[in-house]
Amino acid sequence: MDVPEAAAPGDEALAARAAAGDEPAFEELVTRYQARVFRLARRLTGSDDDAADVLQETFLQVYRGLPGFRGESRFGTWLYRVATNAALMQRRARARRPAESLEAFLPRFDAAGIHAATPAELQVAARVDQLIDQRALAEKAWAGIERLPDAYREAFVLRDLEEMTTDEVARVLDLQPAAVRQRVHRARLMLRGYLSDLVGVKP
Amino acid sequence: MTGIVCASALERMMDYLEGAVAADLRSALEAHFASCERCTAFVASYRETPRILREATEVELPPERALAMRAFLRARRD
Repeated sequence: MDVPEAAAPGDEALAARAAAGDEPAFEELVTRYQARVFRLARRLTGSDDDAADVLQETFLQVYRGLPGFRGESRFGTWLYRVATNAALMQRRARARRPAESLEAFLPRFDAAGIHAATPAELQVAARVDQLIDQRALAEKAWAGIERLPDAYREAFVLRDLEEMTTDEVARVLDLQPAAVRQRVHRARLMLRGYLSDLVGVKP
Repeated sequence: MTGIVCASALERMMDYLEGAVAADLRSALEAHFASCERCTAFVASYRETPRILREATEVELPPERALAMRAFLRARRD
């Protein structure tokens, strides 16, 4: 008789075992999430070194916090919350020049509330990646995200770059979904105009 | 509902795309989008912005960083 292969244990089951001192269970959680935490941290801090520090700090805090993790939220939600807060602390610990605002890239309207730009101008941001060199685009993309206000950057990175749902982001950031949408929306507007500007078109 | 112009449609863009607006507002927004070439172009670029930035900022965890993190954690657990 074939013995069905055991399904991989879920995050919460692993977290419970890790909390009870099962080191391989903790190692498995690290293996499962390390790449995602690093990518999130890299996008939130804008730096490889900072992201590596956040990665370490996140899993250390998770290790120490596991005995108190009662499974009232999903493990992933809790982990992303720890990582997002660690990234914010890391940013604050670094002396950074104030970023130049992206407000100038918001859409413009005439007195009647109609878009001031032409349809061709409005559409151009949709194909910036076909219009400029990939390496240049990557450099500018990192710089643009860095220029967002912290609150917008966190919401945008989690929602649009890490592709979490709005409800998941709301749980991670402890916000109402409507507040998440508001922040992500503002970030999208700013970055959309910023992309247009990269190819010389006014937003 | 009437009175939707590009500026007010834009304010509710993400709510609309996520299905978080009431039915009457949804109808009004769709009526505006259907007749507004500028908003149609705007929505296209608004929807593509996350994808472009996501692809441009894709990163992988360097193996040496993963090893350093494991060593860091081991040193603090022993």
